Amino acid sequence: MLRVTNLKCYYGRIMAIKGISLSVRQGELITLIGANGSGKSTLLEAICGILPTWKGEILFEEESLKGADPPRIVKKGISLVPEGRLVFPPLSVTDNLKLGAYTRFRQKKHTQIAEDLEMVKELFPILAERAAQPAGTLSGGEQQMLAIGRALMSHPRLLALDEPSMGLAPLMVEKILDTLLLLKQQGLTILLVEQNAQAALKIADRAYVLETGKIVLQGPARDLLSDVEVKRAYLGKDYEEFYDGRE
Amino acid sequence: MPHPAKEELKQLQLERLQSTLNRAYRNVPFHRNRQNLLAAQTGKDPAVLEKRDDISRFPFMDRKDLADHYPYGLFAVPLRDIVRIHTAPGTGLKPTVTGYTRQDLGIWQEMTARSLRAAGISSHDILQISLDPGLANWGRDYKDGAESMGIGVIPNTPLSPEKQLMILRDYKTTVLVTTPSEAAQLTDRMFRSDLNPISLNLQHLILVGEPLTKELRERLEQQLHVRVWMHYGLSEVPGPAIAFECPVHEGLHISEDFFLPEIIDSQSGEPLPKGERGELVLTSLMTRAFPLIRFRTGECARLRKEPCSCGSSLVQMDWFATRTDDILNVNGVKVHQNQICLSLERTLGFTPDFAYRVISRFGEKNYLEIMIHADERIFSDEIKEIEMRIRQIGEQLRENLGVPLHVRVKEKNTASSHV
Repeated sequence: MLRVTNLKCYYGRIMAIKGISLSVRQGELITLIGANGSGKSTLLEAICGILPTWKGEILFEEESLKGADPPRIVKKGISLVPEGRLVFPPLSVTDNLKLGAYTRFRQKKHTQIAEDLEMVKELFPILAERAAQPAGTLSGGEQQMLAIGRALMSHPRLLALDEPSMGLAPLMVEKILDTLLLLKQQGLTILLVEQNAQAALKIADRAYVLETGKIVLQGPARDLLSDVEVKRAYLGKDYEEFYDGRE
Repeated sequence: MPHPAKEELKQLQLERLQSTLNRAYRNVPFHRNRQNLLAAQTGKDPAVLEKRDDISRFPFMDRKDLADHYPYGLFAVPLRDIVRIHTAPGTGLKPTVTGYTRQDLGIWQEMTARSLRAAGISSHDILQISLDPGLANWGRDYKDGAESMGIGVIPNTPLSPEKQLMILRDYKTTVLVTTPSEAAQLTDRMFRSDLNPISLNLQHLILVGEPLTKELRERLEQQLHVRVWMHYGLSEVPGPAIAFECPVHEGLHISEDFFLPEIIDSQSGEPLPKGERGELVLTSLMTRAFPLIRFRTGECARLRKEPCSCGSSLVQMDWFATRTDDILNVNGVKVHQNQICLSLERTLGFTPDFAYRVISRFGEKNYLEIMIHADERIFSDEIKEIEMRIRQIGEQLRENLGVPLHVRVKEKNTASSHV
């Protein structure tokens, strides 16, 4: 469904992503894990059109995303839940959700949008309760639900999430990840960027491990869950002394 | 494990190749230096390999590199991650050391299981392993792979051919994993001891270590009423079943999702297109502890152009008996002239003039014949003393090489030249 080949991303002259290839198949939940600064978010930004200065190839359903701006990419079926949620604090929960469907308002799909709004409120009942409340008054976890709900309002086929567990209590993290599993079961394809490797690997099908802009490992998530090399990459620790622990 | 679709396989190989190179660069000075050198030559970051075929820009690895970095110089993970350390005789003074992480063992398990599954072997089977000590590592991998499928396994135990036959019959073995020459030896013995193959439950022979001739395959299939399946593996480094036969029996499918194969001209080192005969070069795609990047196997092979009628996307290889290097294959165990030389020098205190060859007779295990040319340094008035010397040489060689062999002393003009 999504195929990235030899992707390189630049911030000015600094290469943040150094030739990455990865693929997401229809219906899969894929997670990208890695330490801070390993390039995870940059990769998502490139896919979602926020960072247009990339080289290489990104194919979504066999079509190149080269030169496509974020609204176009949303129309193609990719929706992003950004890092730090980025909800609009003064707007009500419902208005925030409706904004997620802004590309579809122009297409006059009002009935469908109303249905989707109901679907999101069913998925997150708390949002229904707080429908008229300004988003800024919600708790962190609720805001995260709102951000996911907003992304779903564009009716994506691929949902990309950037650190949805960040700053949330463990119980809330579990709730969010359970929701992702539920969405996957409903047929949604998910690309999840997470620093909380342990939690992400528990729900993912496959995973890629990033280290300073390069992929160093990939495989079935259940295999990587117990992997010592993953722990090292995730903690950002450098290669230890070869004989360490066995001298 | 299903075989991936063609397009998917290409992407998978690229992804795995890139992370293999990244890990090798980060963790192994040998690979880092070579990649840096390449970068200096081409002005490009070699780790950013953009096409699968770009691998041909990389330098080769051979058995000498393995020896030069004895024992742990090529390991790509800290020693603490290693759960198995394997030793193979090597081609010089030092043995070849390879390591496996827990994940690596899992990979070999998967690959071995896939190759057994391709032969229709299942948990209904009883699988007996009979391999020489030099192939002990394969014995372990076949055992692990078969056990993971729920097959009843009779692990590799050094036993006399009589006892192997007894087990084959009495334990109701349905699958035997062995080398072609041992299979021939067992068959011969079976007939000599009036054991009718019909009284056996044996259905499949998995033959490893050496390419199989058409004649031997037909003979074994007819005499034992079994189906024969050839597997290809590396004995000194990683393991068995890198390539395996499917029910079509036309060439061996290479597990391309785990190993990237290339065929090169062994003289020039240039890559050859599909369909041409040359040396097989392998790059590991999933191995963690001991990555191989363009390892020259010395094996003569050809990659088939046409896809297999079984529907698998994995490329097929024809494996030929000749080698592209000067290594001998004795029942799957690799022997190099240097090893013979060094061993003789150690026992005798000097290097005698000698010749060697692999003797292959149907019904017998292949063995190495070493003929030492008699001169005044070896010769003695006492026959007993000469006999003792020969015995010592034989023991030392057997210990070092791990293959069956005969030592003979001959007068100079009667010994044949080096093989």
